[in-house]
Amino acid sequence: MAGRRQQVPMMQPQIIVLKEGTDTSQGVPQLLSNISACLAICDTIRTTLGPRGMDKLIVDSQKRVTVSNDGATIMKLLEVVQPAARTLVDIARAQDAEVGDGTTSVVLLAGELLKEVKEYVEEGVSSQVIIKGFRKAANLAINRIKELAASVDRSDKTEFRSLLEKCAATSMNSKLIGSQKEFFTKMVVDAVMCLDQDELNEDMIGIKKIPGGAMQDSILVDGVAFKKSFSYAGFEQQPKSFDAPKIVCLNVELELKAEKDNAEVRVDKVSEYQAIVDAEWKIIFDKLDSIVATGAKVVLSRLPIGDLATQYFADRNIFCAGRVSKDDLDRVCEATGCRIQSTTTGLTAKHLGLCERFEERQIGGQRFNLFRGCPEAKTCTIILRGGAEQFIDEVERSLHDSIMIVRRAVKNQTVVAGGGAIEMELSRYLRDTARQIEGKQQLIITAVAKALEVIPRQLCENAGFDTTDFITQLRARHAQDPERYKWHGVDIEEEAVSDLFAKFVWEPALVKINAISSAVEAACLILSVDETVTSQQSQDPMASGQPAMPGRGRGRGMPMGR
Amino acid sequence: MSAIYTTDEYGRPFIIVREQDKKTRKTGIEATKAHIMAAKTVANIVRTSLGPRGLDKILISPDGDITISNDGATIMTQMAIENQIGKLMVELSKSQDDEIGDGTTGIVVLAGALLEQAEELLDRGIHPIRISDGFEQACKIAVAHLDKVSDVIPWSKDDTSDLFKCAKTSLGSKIVNKCHDQFAQIAVDSILAVADLERKDVDFELIKMEGKVGGELADTMLVRGVIIDKDFSHPQMPKEVSDAKIAILTCPFEPPKPKTKHKLDITTVKEFEELQKYELETFEKMVQQVKDCGANIVACQWGFDDEANSLLLQHKLPAIRWVGGPEIELLAIATNGRIVPRFDDLSSEKLGSAGKIREMSFGTTNDNMIVVEDCANSKAVTVFVRGGNKMIVDEAKRSLHDAMCVVRNLILNNHVVYGGAAAEISCSIEVEKAADQVSSIEQYAMRSFARALDAIPMALAENSGLPPIETLSAVKSQQIKQGISSLGIDCMNTGVNDMKQQFVFDPLISKRQQFLVATQMVKMILKIDDVIVHKSDDQQ
Repeated sequence: MAGRRQQVPMMQPQIIVLKEGTDTSQGVPQLLSNISACLAICDTIRTTLGPRGMDKLIVDSQKRVTVSNDGATIMKLLEVVQPAARTLVDIARAQDAEVGDGTTSVVLLAGELLKEVKEYVEEGVSSQVIIKGFRKAANLAINRIKELAASVDRSDKTEFRSLLEKCAATSMNSKLIGSQKEFFTKMVVDAVMCLDQDELNEDMIGIKKIPGGAMQDSILVDGVAFKKSFSYAGFEQQPKSFDAPKIVCLNVELELKAEKDNAEVRVDKVSEYQAIVDAEWKIIFDKLDSIVATGAKVVLSRLPIGDLATQYFADRNIFCAGRVSKDDLDRVCEATGCRIQSTTTGLTAKHLGLCERFEERQIGGQRFNLFRGCPEAKTCTIILRGGAEQFIDEVERSLHDSIMIVRRAVKNQTVVAGGGAIEMELSRYLRDTARQIEGKQQLIITAVAKALEVIPRQLCENAGFDTTDFITQLRARHAQDPERYKWHGVDIEEEAVSDLFAKFVWEPALVKINAISSAVEAACLILSVDETVTSQQSQDPMASGQPAMPGRGRGRGMPMGR
Repeated sequence: MSAIYTTDEYGRPFIIVREQDKKTRKTGIEATKAHIMAAKTVANIVRTSLGPRGLDKILISPDGDITISNDGATIMTQMAIENQIGKLMVELSKSQDDEIGDGTTGIVVLAGALLEQAEELLDRGIHPIRISDGFEQACKIAVAHLDKVSDVIPWSKDDTSDLFKCAKTSLGSKIVNKCHDQFAQIAVDSILAVADLERKDVDFELIKMEGKVGGELADTMLVRGVIIDKDFSHPQMPKEVSDAKIAILTCPFEPPKPKTKHKLDITTVKEFEELQKYELETFEKMVQQVKDCGANIVACQWGFDDEANSLLLQHKLPAIRWVGGPEIELLAIATNGRIVPRFDDLSSEKLGSAGKIREMSFGTTNDNMIVVEDCANSKAVTVFVRGGNKMIVDEAKRSLHDAMCVVRNLILNNHVVYGGAAAEISCSIEVEKAADQVSSIEQYAMRSFARALDAIPMALAENSGLPPIETLSAVKSQQIKQGISSLGIDCMNTGVNDMKQQFVFDPLISKRQQFLVATQMVKMILKIDDVIVHKSDDQQ
């Protein structure tokens, strides 16, 4: 650490390079303390893994209540500040963004890797050696997954669909909706299948939440649904249902208002008043007339539709809704094939969209606009119901995970068995391979092999099974006959060790590959840091309420340990 | 506290999570127990308001406003519960309110009872998820059984007697049961008036509830039309108009004004006189336009000044001013009129028609309301609630709303189960029977579910002043022996406990929803094993 505090001859005053109050920690102790921090984070979320995993209830400073089982969500809400531990938060989020599921496993795995090599760090093995070993092990493991993964033929429609359903079901197992998974897997797979199969843009699946009803009352709409927007007087006189209506989407304000805010009119004679007023009315009536002339029956706009326009449409049996949010309008366009128009001039029938049926309907305590049976439907809407807002939020997160998984599976049709089976197999494979490697790498790869066992171990623990018993049994089976027992894992339902591939606990191979590589990356990152420099927090007024931070002085003075 | 607080290898503590001191954390069984405790407390508060003999709660808001209510959802929302689990229970009740509108107390009591049972199982060392799995299995059986014991009640537009009975059941526990029949009839009539029977859609926005303190509950009435809380703009205008042709305007009685900023410079006296003349002419013209199209009454969304007012009086044109947006809309729907945005657009076919428009005055105060009756279209109705004080009027409105929801639910789905906890008892028996055939640990959870179902009849009996255990066991044995699933708790002491004969019905979807949602909520609560609460500053 040259340049910081020069190791000058004894009794000389130290030369302070950095500002007073700057936190510096360095060397092996720093590394070890980073590892401890990561382990503490892992401890927090380890109980959420698997079908018998529990949820966390987190109340934040704004008193918002979140109940979740999703690793990424929990990690985000924990507000972790320890820099090394934040790496774990980041990989959970990366996994969430990349594959959508397996966020808890990735954090657990990274933590376990660090735990296994902690000993070696203490004994003085250079972190570079460990990192090299990790990378090697990760490569071996990923190649092994690719070898093992079973692929499903896409051309067979029913086979392919059942693959998707199984993957979706596995991801739902640990969630609140676990007991209704038949119901929801169908919904999720239907939703993904109606997307454009090349793009698979998940934004085109709208999720609307309406409190009330049981979760079985959730519905999938093959089109678009959105809440009734604010309406003006006259709205109730409009017709509320149409068969095969033409739809126009606008980005135009249909209100009687000053056309320019900064303009001012000078009136010389009172009689001119009427002329100006008439001119203003003409502007809006021209707009309205051109819309009516196209034959549109449903008028939607992102901007407000005023009371005058509302009543005008009511007179002509046209339905209108103003202040529709952008996402909803985009999805209406996607579904019905219309384009958002920014002006009403030159509006013709070809700009209009079409759907089979439009209606306004009561769902729960709210009124909803439903567009169904759309010709180009590359979009759909899931309307979620549930007993409380927090409940629906968690259902939404769970469905999101499943949707992401199904999306992945559509693109990438290889699957492996879940329930810790693939981890046990990888663990066995790494252990066998390690024996043929000379040098320190052997130890590190064995450590990775052991770390992989954390997934089945935690599954057992959360389910309340005898962990040691299960792990030893699994290890023995995988060692005895790797080919025959390769898909054996923890069967939570039967409380036994069994072939999970046959039980259809399937996960896309990509989820596992991504989990292993990001966990290893994160572990490597943490291991390669041996120094933290934290600038003192700027003295903002908010900071006065913060407690004094204990332990801030560590790492000052002589490096410890050696 | 604070398991996140950690020390490193050398015993030096360090911080992982922001502001650890401000966070409290509970984990494992301790957390679950605390949740159950909280939920039970909340359930116990509303427990006594269940059933026809249930009692009301008085709630005083921070501003000193008093609410007296028997409605579970209202009580729960007004209680301003702080505890997170308590809040979940409030949401539970609200969701029942949103979806079904009735049975908001029952659902909370059921959830509380389920959690109470779960606590015992937790003490025996059963995994919380096994418990909730068992509950879900039991719930499935109970819901299937509900379908089996449900009856279809026939109704048509002409024969509403059964709808009426259901509305009566809902109103039974409320303060308005003094005028039981009348309120039930109002609920049925108003829903049937606005319901779209083909699409099975009921738009609640077409039913307006207007309340006025004074008079008594029995004076409450259903107006097939609109009541506007306004009076005629001039005291000398006629108080009653028959065969009204109403012009509904959203423009003010004043010279038209451009929306664009404008300025008129007046420099000479002549110009000023011209302006005045112009104004007068416009008024004249407007009134004439209204007259010409054949209207004999005007409702205007905006105001008009005294000059216009006296002009209207001269032309014998009664007018109502400052009618709010929603009222204008209802008025237009009820009278089949069109809302007219400017005088030039007025024509005779845009006028609304009503048989009678009259001003109604109350008591000794100068309070007036305008009643529009015998409208061309009866799709918009107004319920006019009277009562001795504001609390009673408010509670009566809530009760009516509940009853209307019940009727609406029956229009959507005309299956009913029997009230007086008959359905719960029958399901309890069924679940108990099914539990014996389950070979895994879930058996215990299922039995507990059956016991939790018994909590509803027990609470009913207790609130009615009957010995709860004795009554329940008597009814239960009777149900099993006679095989009649419509036997329930005889809360009103009529001597008959067959709910079929007493005509106590509940919509099937309401009961189904209670079971499903309560079970799902309980599962959610049981699944939590870790609570991290960020304390706000004021608590420190």
